[in-house]
Amino acid sequence: MEQEITIKVDGAEHRLALDTRTTLLDALRERLGITSPKKGCDHGQCGACTVLLDGRRANSCLALAVAHDGAEIVTAEGFAGDGYLHQMQQAFIEHDAFQCGYCTPGQIVSAVGMLEVAKAGWPSHVTEDLDTEDVSLDDEEIRERMSGNLCRCAAYANIVPAIKEVSGR
Amino acid sequence: MKPYSYVRAQDVGGAVAALAEAPDAAFLAGGTNLVDLMKLEVMTPNVLVDVRRLTSDSIEELSDGGVRIGAAVPNSDLAADRTIRSRYPMLSQALLAGASGQLRNLATTGGNLLQRTRCVYFYDTTTPCNKREPGSGCSAIEGHN
Repeated sequence: MEQEITIKVDGAEHRLALDTRTTLLDALRERLGITSPKKGCDHGQCGACTVLLDGRRANSCLALAVAHDGAEIVTAEGFAGDGYLHQMQQAFIEHDAFQCGYCTPGQIVSAVGMLEVAKAGWPSHVTEDLDTEDVSLDDEEIRERMSGNLCRCAAYANIVPAIKEVSGR
Repeated sequence: MKPYSYVRAQDVGGAVAALAEAPDAAFLAGGTNLVDLMKLEVMTPNVLVDVRRLTSDSIEELSDGGVRIGAAVPNSDLAADRTIRSRYPMLSQALLAGASGQLRNLATTGGNLLQRTRCVYFYDTTTPCNKREPGSGCSAIEGHN
Protein backbone atom coordinates (compact mmCIF):
# COMPACT_ATOMS: atom_id res chain seq x y z
CA MET A 1 0.00 0.00 0.00
CA GLU A 2 1.57 3.26 -1.13
CA GLN A 3 1.19 6.78 0.08
CA GLU A 4 2.76 10.09 -0.95
CA ILE A 5 4.70 12.28 1.43
CA THR A 6 6.85 15.39 1.26
CA ILE A 7 9.89 15.68 3.50
CA LYS A 8 12.67 18.21 3.71
CA VAL A 9 16.08 16.64 4.17
CA ASP A 10 19.19 18.75 4.79
CA GLY A 11 17.42 21.71 3.22
CA ALA A 12 16.11 19.98 0.08
CA GLU A 13 12.46 19.07 -0.40
CA HIS A 14 11.54 15.61 -1.67
CA ARG A 15 8.20 14.20 -2.77
CA LEU A 16 8.04 10.41 -2.44
CA ALA A 17 5.49 7.66 -3.01
CA LEU A 18 6.27 5.05 -0.39
CA ASP A 19 5.06 1.71 0.88
CA THR A 20 3.36 2.55 4.20
CA ARG A 21 5.81 0.22 5.96
CA THR A 22 8.85 2.31 5.02
CA THR A 23 10.69 3.80 7.96
CA LEU A 24 12.25 7.23 7.73
CA LEU A 25 15.64 5.51 7.82
CA ASP A 26 14.85 3.35 4.79
CA ALA A 27 13.33 6.31 2.94
CA LEU A 28 16.52 8.30 3.50
CA ARG A 29 18.93 5.51 2.64
CA GLU A 30 17.15 3.48 -0.02
CA ARG A 31 15.07 6.12 -1.76
CA LEU A 32 17.08 9.31 -1.39
CA GLY A 33 20.59 7.84 -1.21
CA ILE A 34 21.35 9.72 1.99
CA THR A 35 23.44 7.10 3.74
CA SER A 36 24.90 8.91 6.75
CA PRO A 37 22.09 7.63 9.01
CA LYS A 38 23.09 3.99 9.52
CA LYS A 39 21.07 0.87 10.08
CA GLY A 40 22.49 -0.77 13.18
CA CYS A 41 19.96 -2.67 15.28
CA ASP A 42 16.85 -1.36 13.46
CA HIS A 43 15.02 -1.52 16.83
CA GLY A 44 15.81 1.87 18.37
CA GLN A 45 18.51 0.62 20.68
CA CYS A 46 21.83 1.57 19.08
CA GLY A 47 21.30 5.14 17.86
CA ALA A 48 23.22 4.72 14.56
CA CYS A 49 20.14 5.96 12.66
CA THR A 50 19.79 9.18 14.70
CA VAL A 51 18.59 12.25 12.77
CA LEU A 52 17.17 15.59 13.85
CA LEU A 53 13.45 15.24 13.22
CA ASP A 54 11.81 18.67 13.36
CA GLY A 55 14.79 19.84 15.39
CA ARG A 56 14.99 16.96 17.84
CA ARG A 57 17.15 13.87 17.81
CA ALA A 58 15.16 10.74 17.04
CA ASN A 59 15.68 7.13 15.96
CA SER A 60 14.73 7.19 12.27
CA CYS A 61 14.43 3.37 12.27
CA LEU A 62 11.32 3.54 14.47
CA ALA A 63 9.68 6.50 12.74
CA LEU A 64 7.31 5.52 9.94
CA ALA A 65 7.85 7.84 6.98
CA VAL A 66 4.11 8.25 6.28
CA ALA A 67 3.60 9.47 9.85
CA HIS A 68 6.10 12.29 9.29
CA ASP A 69 4.71 13.88 6.13
CA GLY A 70 5.91 17.48 6.08
CA ALA A 71 8.76 16.87 8.51
CA GLU A 72 12.10 18.61 8.39
CA ILE A 73 15.04 16.27 8.80
CA VAL A 74 18.70 17.03 9.32
CA THR A 75 21.33 14.32 9.00
CA ALA A 76 25.04 14.46 9.82
CA GLU A 77 25.63 15.31 6.14
CA GLY A 78 23.45 18.37 6.50
CA PHE A 79 25.69 19.84 9.20
CA ALA A 80 28.59 20.29 6.82
CA GLY A 81 28.74 22.89 4.08
CA ASP A 82 30.92 23.51 1.07
CA GLY A 83 34.43 23.40 2.47
CA TYR A 84 33.58 23.50 6.15
CA LEU A 85 32.54 21.12 8.90
CA HIS A 86 30.22 21.56 11.87
CA GLN A 87 32.18 22.17 15.06
CA MET A 88 31.02 18.81 16.40
CA GLN A 89 32.34 17.02 13.31
CA GLN A 90 35.64 18.90 13.65
CA ALA A 91 35.88 17.99 17.35
CA PHE A 92 35.31 14.29 16.57
CA ILE A 93 38.21 14.41 14.11
CA GLU A 94 40.50 16.32 16.45
CA HIS A 95 39.79 13.95 19.34
CA ASP A 96 39.94 10.82 17.17
CA ALA A 97 36.46 10.00 18.49
CA PHE A 98 35.86 6.94 16.33
CA GLN A 99 37.44 3.81 15.00
CA CYS A 100 35.30 2.12 12.33
CA GLY A 101 33.04 5.16 12.03
CA TYR A 102 29.74 3.33 11.62
CA CYS A 103 28.11 4.90 14.66
CA THR A 104 29.75 8.31 14.10
CA PRO A 105 27.04 10.16 12.10
CA GLY A 106 24.46 9.10 14.69
CA GLN A 107 26.78 10.10 17.53
CA ILE A 108 27.35 13.53 15.98
CA VAL A 109 23.67 14.26 15.33
CA SER A 110 22.77 12.99 18.79
CA ALA A 111 25.46 15.15 20.42
CA VAL A 112 24.21 18.27 18.63
CA GLY A 113 20.60 17.54 19.66
CA MET A 114 21.71 16.75 23.19
CA LEU A 115 23.62 20.03 23.63
CA GLU A 116 20.52 22.00 22.58
CA VAL A 117 18.36 20.56 25.36
CA ALA A 118 21.17 20.70 27.93
CA LYS A 119 21.47 24.41 27.13
CA ALA A 120 17.74 24.75 27.72
CA GLY A 121 18.27 23.30 31.21
CA TRP A 122 16.69 19.90 30.62
CA PRO A 123 17.79 17.43 33.30
CA SER A 124 19.05 13.89 32.75
CA HIS A 125 18.83 10.74 34.84
CA VAL A 126 22.07 11.71 36.64
CA THR A 127 21.23 15.39 37.25
CA GLU A 128 21.20 15.73 41.03
CA ASP A 129 18.98 18.78 41.29
CA LEU A 130 15.96 18.30 39.02
CA ASP A 131 14.97 21.94 39.53
CA THR A 132 18.27 23.24 38.18
CA GLU A 133 18.29 26.07 35.63
CA ASP A 134 21.87 25.44 34.55
CA VAL A 135 23.07 22.02 33.56
CA SER A 136 26.79 21.53 33.82
CA LEU A 137 27.93 18.84 31.43
CA ASP A 138 30.57 16.80 33.21
CA ASP A 139 31.66 13.39 31.88
CA GLU A 140 28.91 11.55 33.76
CA GLU A 141 26.22 13.84 32.32
CA ILE A 142 27.56 13.46 28.78
CA ARG A 143 27.74 9.67 29.09
CA GLU A 144 24.17 9.45 30.39
CA ARG A 145 22.76 11.86 27.79
CA MET A 146 24.55 9.97 25.00
CA SER A 147 23.51 6.54 26.28
CA GLY A 148 21.22 6.06 23.26
CA ASN A 149 24.26 5.85 20.98
CA LEU A 150 26.32 2.68 21.16
CA CYS A 151 29.84 2.35 19.82
CA ARG A 152 30.99 -1.23 19.30
CA CYS A 153 34.59 -0.03 18.97
CA ALA A 154 34.18 1.57 22.40
CA ALA A 155 35.54 4.94 21.30
CA TYR A 156 33.68 6.50 24.21
CA ALA A 157 36.95 7.58 25.83
CA ASN A 158 37.41 10.04 22.96
CA ILE A 159 33.75 10.74 22.16
CA VAL A 160 33.13 12.23 25.61
CA PRO A 161 36.05 14.73 25.43
CA ALA A 162 35.02 15.73 21.88
CA ILE A 163 31.49 16.57 23.00
CA LYS A 164 32.78 18.20 26.16
CA GLU A 165 34.98 20.53 24.14
CA VAL A 166 32.06 21.72 22.00
CA SER A 167 29.78 22.04 25.03
CA GLY A 168 32.25 24.45 26.62
CA ARG A 169 32.13 26.88 23.69
CA MET B 1 6.30 -6.39 8.40
CA LYS B 2 2.78 -7.28 7.27
CA PRO B 3 1.17 -4.79 4.84
CA TYR B 4 -1.25 -2.27 6.35
CA SER B 5 -3.01 0.89 5.34
CA TYR B 6 -2.25 4.15 7.10
CA VAL B 7 -4.95 6.63 8.09
CA ARG B 8 -4.46 9.98 9.77
CA ALA B 9 -7.60 10.59 11.78
CA GLN B 10 -8.98 14.14 11.55
CA ASP B 11 -10.86 14.07 14.86
CA VAL B 12 -11.48 11.82 17.85
CA GLY B 13 -14.77 10.54 16.43
CA GLY B 14 -13.06 9.64 13.16
CA ALA B 15 -10.27 7.82 14.98
CA VAL B 16 -12.69 5.75 17.04
CA ALA B 17 -14.82 5.02 13.96
CA ALA B 18 -11.75 3.90 11.97
CA LEU B 19 -10.88 1.45 14.72
CA ALA B 20 -14.47 0.23 15.02
CA GLU B 21 -14.60 -0.46 11.27
CA ALA B 22 -11.39 -2.46 11.27
CA PRO B 23 -11.12 -4.73 14.30
CA ASP B 24 -7.45 -5.45 13.58
CA ALA B 25 -6.54 -1.76 13.41
CA ALA B 26 -4.21 -0.10 15.93
CA PHE B 27 -3.69 3.48 17.08
CA LEU B 28 -0.27 4.94 16.27
CA ALA B 29 1.40 7.82 18.11
CA GLY B 30 5.20 7.90 18.52
CA GLY B 31 5.49 4.32 17.34
CA THR B 32 8.56 3.46 19.42
CA ASN B 33 6.94 0.30 20.79
CA LEU B 34 4.32 -0.48 18.12
CA VAL B 35 6.63 -0.19 15.09
CA ASP B 36 9.19 -2.40 16.81
CA LEU B 37 6.50 -5.01 17.54
CA MET B 38 5.26 -4.79 13.96
CA LYS B 39 8.76 -5.42 12.60
CA LEU B 40 8.87 -8.60 14.69
CA GLU B 41 5.30 -9.44 13.61
CA VAL B 42 4.27 -9.71 17.25
CA MET B 43 1.62 -7.17 16.28
CA THR B 44 0.09 -7.30 12.80
CA PRO B 45 -2.51 -4.53 12.46
CA ASN B 46 -4.10 -4.19 9.01
CA VAL B 47 -4.82 -0.49 9.53
CA LEU B 48 -2.77 2.09 11.45
CA VAL B 49 -4.83 5.01 12.73
CA ASP B 50 -2.40 7.86 13.45
CA VAL B 51 -3.60 9.91 16.42
CA ARG B 52 -0.33 11.69 17.28
CA ARG B 53 -1.42 15.10 15.96
CA LEU B 54 -4.97 14.61 17.16
CA THR B 55 -4.68 14.36 20.93
CA SER B 56 -3.55 17.11 23.29
CA ASP B 57 0.15 17.85 23.64
CA SER B 58 -0.21 20.24 26.55
CA ILE B 59 0.34 19.97 30.29
CA GLU B 60 -2.33 21.89 32.22
CA GLU B 61 -2.45 22.80 35.90
CA LEU B 62 -5.99 22.30 37.14
CA SER B 63 -7.86 24.38 39.72
CA ASP B 64 -8.20 21.37 42.03
CA GLY B 65 -4.43 21.17 42.38
CA GLY B 66 -3.90 18.37 39.88
CA VAL B 67 -2.21 18.35 36.52
CA ARG B 68 -3.67 17.11 33.23
CA ILE B 69 -1.13 15.63 30.85
CA GLY B 70 -2.13 15.37 27.18
CA ALA B 71 -1.79 11.94 25.58
CA ALA B 72 0.48 13.33 22.85
CA VAL B 73 2.97 15.02 25.21
CA PRO B 74 6.36 13.52 24.34
CA ASN B 75 8.21 11.79 27.19
CA SER B 76 11.05 14.30 26.86
CA ASP B 77 8.78 17.34 27.30
CA LEU B 78 7.00 15.75 30.23
CA ALA B 79 10.26 14.94 32.03
CA ALA B 80 11.58 18.48 31.45
CA ASP B 81 8.39 20.32 32.38
CA ARG B 82 9.00 22.70 35.30
CA THR B 83 5.78 21.79 37.12
CA ILE B 84 6.40 18.08 36.79
CA ARG B 85 10.03 18.46 37.88
CA SER B 86 9.18 20.34 41.05
CA ARG B 87 5.86 18.73 42.02
CA TYR B 88 6.14 15.22 40.60
CA PRO B 89 9.91 14.56 40.55
CA MET B 90 9.40 10.80 40.60
CA LEU B 91 7.59 11.04 37.25
CA SER B 92 10.46 13.05 35.74
CA GLN B 93 13.01 10.63 37.13
CA ALA B 94 11.13 7.59 35.88
CA LEU B 95 10.90 9.04 32.35
CA LEU B 96 14.58 10.04 32.33
CA ALA B 97 15.58 6.57 33.47
CA GLY B 98 13.21 4.80 31.11
CA ALA B 99 14.67 5.37 27.66
CA SER B 100 17.33 7.19 25.64
CA GLY B 101 16.96 10.84 24.62
CA GLN B 102 16.11 9.82 21.05
CA LEU B 103 13.32 7.51 22.18
CA ARG B 104 11.93 10.02 24.68
CA ASN B 105 11.60 12.57 21.89
CA LEU B 106 9.39 10.23 19.85
CA ALA B 107 7.50 8.40 22.60
CA THR B 108 4.26 9.92 23.89
CA THR B 109 2.53 9.78 27.27
CA GLY B 110 -0.48 7.89 25.90
CA GLY B 111 1.72 5.41 24.07
CA ASN B 112 3.82 4.94 27.17
CA LEU B 113 0.76 3.78 29.11
CA LEU B 114 -0.10 1.40 26.28
CA GLN B 115 3.42 -0.01 26.03
CA ARG B 116 3.44 -3.79 25.93
CA THR B 117 5.44 -5.98 28.27
CA ARG B 118 9.20 -6.06 27.74
CA CYS B 119 9.28 -9.82 28.42
CA VAL B 120 11.68 -11.43 25.95
CA TYR B 121 9.27 -14.30 25.23
CA PHE B 122 6.50 -11.88 24.25
CA TYR B 123 8.90 -10.52 21.59
CA ASP B 124 10.02 -13.97 20.43
CA THR B 125 7.27 -15.42 18.21
CA THR B 126 8.95 -18.85 18.19
CA THR B 127 8.20 -19.36 21.90
CA PRO B 128 4.86 -19.79 23.72
CA CYS B 129 3.47 -16.67 25.41
CA ASN B 130 0.04 -16.38 26.98
CA LYS B 131 0.03 -12.64 26.50
CA ARG B 132 0.73 -12.87 22.78
CA GLU B 133 -1.27 -16.02 22.18
CA PRO B 134 -3.68 -16.81 25.03
CA GLY B 135 -3.55 -20.45 26.09
CA SER B 136 -0.14 -21.17 24.50
CA GLY B 137 1.68 -21.16 27.85
CA CYS B 138 4.23 -18.96 29.60
CA SER B 139 7.88 -19.47 28.70
CA ALA B 140 9.07 -17.19 31.50
CA ILE B 141 7.97 -19.57 34.27
CA GLU B 142 10.77 -22.00 33.49
CA GLY B 143 12.92 -19.62 31.44
CA HIS B 144 14.53 -16.20 32.01
CA ASN B 145 12.33 -14.27 34.38
